[in-house]
Amino acid sequence: MATTTNALPQIHRTARGFCITSAVWFVIGTLVGLTTAIEFIAPDLLGNISWLVLGRIRPVHTNIVIFGFVTAGLLSVSFYMVPSLLRTELYSEKLGMITVLLWNIAVAAAGITLAMGYTQGREYAELIWPLDLVVVLLFGLICFNLFMTVKQRKEPLLYVSVWYVLAAVILSAITYCIGNVIWVPGSGALAGMPDAIILWFYGHNVLGLLLTPLAVAVAYYVIPSASRTPLYSHTLSLVGFWSLLVMYSHIGTHHLLQTPAPTWLKVVSIVGSIGMIIPVMVVLINLWYTAKGKLGQIQADVGAKFVLAGSVIYLFTCIQGPAHSLPVVQRITHFSNWVVAHAHMGVLGFAGFIALGGMYYILPKITGKPIFSKSLAELQYWLVLIGMSGFMIGLTMSGLIQGHGWRSGETVYRLLPQLHHYNIFRGAMGVLIVSSALIFLYNIIRTIFFNPGGQASGVGKES
Amino acid sequence: MNLKMTPKAVIFGGTFILAAIVFAVVYWPWAKRIQTPSDIHRSRTPAENAGRATYIANGCVYCHSQSVRYLDWGLGAERVAQAGDYVEDRPILLGSERTGPDLSQEGGEHPDDWHVAHFINPRFTRPHSIMPPLAFLGDKKISTLIAYVQGLGYKDADRRMERQRFWKEKAIEAYEAGPEANVKWLHGHVPEGWRKIPNPYPTTEAGLRRGRRIYQGFCIGCHGPVGDGMGPAQPHIYPPPLNFTILKGRGISGGILYYQIMNGITGTAMPYFKRELESEKIWDVGNYVAVYFIGETDANAEPRGIDASWEP
Repeated sequence: MATTTNALPQIHRTARGFCITSAVWFVIGTLVGLTTAIEFIAPDLLGNISWLVLGRIRPVHTNIVIFGFVTAGLLSVSFYMVPSLLRTELYSEKLGMITVLLWNIAVAAAGITLAMGYTQGREYAELIWPLDLVVVLLFGLICFNLFMTVKQRKEPLLYVSVWYVLAAVILSAITYCIGNVIWVPGSGALAGMPDAIILWFYGHNVLGLLLTPLAVAVAYYVIPSASRTPLYSHTLSLVGFWSLLVMYSHIGTHHLLQTPAPTWLKVVSIVGSIGMIIPVMVVLINLWYTAKGKLGQIQADVGAKFVLAGSVIYLFTCIQGPAHSLPVVQRITHFSNWVVAHAHMGVLGFAGFIALGGMYYILPKITGKPIFSKSLAELQYWLVLIGMSGFMIGLTMSGLIQGHGWRSGETVYRLLPQLHHYNIFRGAMGVLIVSSALIFLYNIIRTIFFNPGGQASGVGKES
Repeated sequence: MNLKMTPKAVIFGGTFILAAIVFAVVYWPWAKRIQTPSDIHRSRTPAENAGRATYIANGCVYCHSQSVRYLDWGLGAERVAQAGDYVEDRPILLGSERTGPDLSQEGGEHPDDWHVAHFINPRFTRPHSIMPPLAFLGDKKISTLIAYVQGLGYKDADRRMERQRFWKEKAIEAYEAGPEANVKWLHGHVPEGWRKIPNPYPTTEAGLRRGRRIYQGFCIGCHGPVGDGMGPAQPHIYPPPLNFTILKGRGISGGILYYQIMNGITGTAMPYFKRELESEKIWDVGNYVAVYFIGETDANAEPRGIDASWEP
């Protein structure tokens, strides 16, 4: 046990590295997002600054928040959680730290190249080929480190969180290669409709096979641990895991229902989308039955509180998702801000909340010190919860105006003045989200580097 | 149930499921893809391809779809997207949002000079627009971007562009012949029936207020705040936007104003507004221009039919 307050344990360096990574990119990514929101309100404010033009910084925002903030945050928890659940140490902290460093270089390079206009122009698969290779290499390094950790484990049984993390990293490496059409270095694209199909196969699986399994893994770890209860059902874990892989991964074409994609493929994607209710509900039932009667313990820990909120938002997101896949709903929602609201609920509300909660939860374990300020963490919780919910509600309303307006013959241009106030509201909610990110960064930096507090309940003890 | 989850089960099971799915929903649609170009398809020119690269680099795809649906009303609704339209698109640019309008059939909708003004600052031609100004691209990139946009719709776009060029020549000829000849030319292309129709509704305070609001949202960028044709788009447009004053005493009528607003003047930067403005809005903005800028209105003049029930 460390006796001085500032000595950090040698182990868990990778988890700390990814945690700081996530906190830094959370601030940068949401600031870029706020900039886009401002450009929707005042398009001439930052006019003619090429690297700040809306079309360039939108992918900067999405790539940074997805890979820099949420994925890095969930990986931070994974790099602590997986060794801990397997009663061993991470195979190589050194390799982990190299991964962290390279991850940051890759995210920064992604932001810079996109802002400079170097893009493949495919939504969520924008990165140019050399960066694609770096991302694949990174997934490879993570897979290797985690697989070797599994190999040296002292705990013979694999807990459900470990299944999800292993599946997420290996399947994401594969879908990343396929979705980015990595064998065509120049355009990174197929020609014609197959390009749209492969793109949305991938775009959908960024959430389906990367963020969702990692976030579910973290929830499966935090909820039972914080409520000090064994997981409700192993059977439900199995059903949830395998049905996620089967259902989530094949339904990307529900983004293309109104395009000339093959009809049979649309039918498959709609049926699978409705089927998504199975993996979602099974996981939530499993988690919430575990938490039954233990809400007090969960609320007492700010990390677990974030994770529980993330699981509730997961429910909302995944009620919306299957509903959107119905053609009758999509006639109104498609192409509108409704979808933008849904995406923010999924990435920030579900996966982002669980990433934040997971990091808060493991922070005392990976630093050996308590969280610097619990009240700041509570403040951050409410800021991001209100910010995300308000954002979601405002853009949903704006999307309904667009969808119904277009459907009844209004042109895009005619509706713009009606959307203006909702765009202002979105910007205001964005300010809350950015504030929350700043608080998080401050809290993380203070906790890890400048922590006057005493010792937490034993680093390394818990496993 | 106590199925043992080993690392092998997770890794190979997961990979096997994914492989099956990739085969079914990615490979199979690719193997069975439509490779026949559609009836309107043609290959893009080098300039159009350069413009497309600019379109991609600046993320135009995030706000503009290129995917007309059977349920759409706006521009391009006459031609629902077909798989054969995209056979050479790498990447395909269907888009996922319509913060701006769909561009599938944008080619030939406006003449090139309208696009120059619009790209330099979209609010020059479209005051409510929230599109970013693209002047930073410079003239060369803007001109290739225009080439690309004017090719959207392929052969249909080519036909429209031919029509734009044909009428542009006539419009310039008329403009350069002086106001008298220009007005005569403009009125001469309005069908006779329309020319004779006075504005059937009386001038009211409310109607003028509505007209002003429409004017500010749709017309002010070219025709300017006082209707002298000196709006911010003016330096980029030729023939320049009309100075309404020259219409005075030259046989203007409510019907002519209505027709020109509804149908536009192809070849010039004056677009048609039939998709965006309904009857009352067109009569109101026409009368606003007549009262304030021309100084001569035929609102509620003879011949008129039975007064509408709302008339005071």
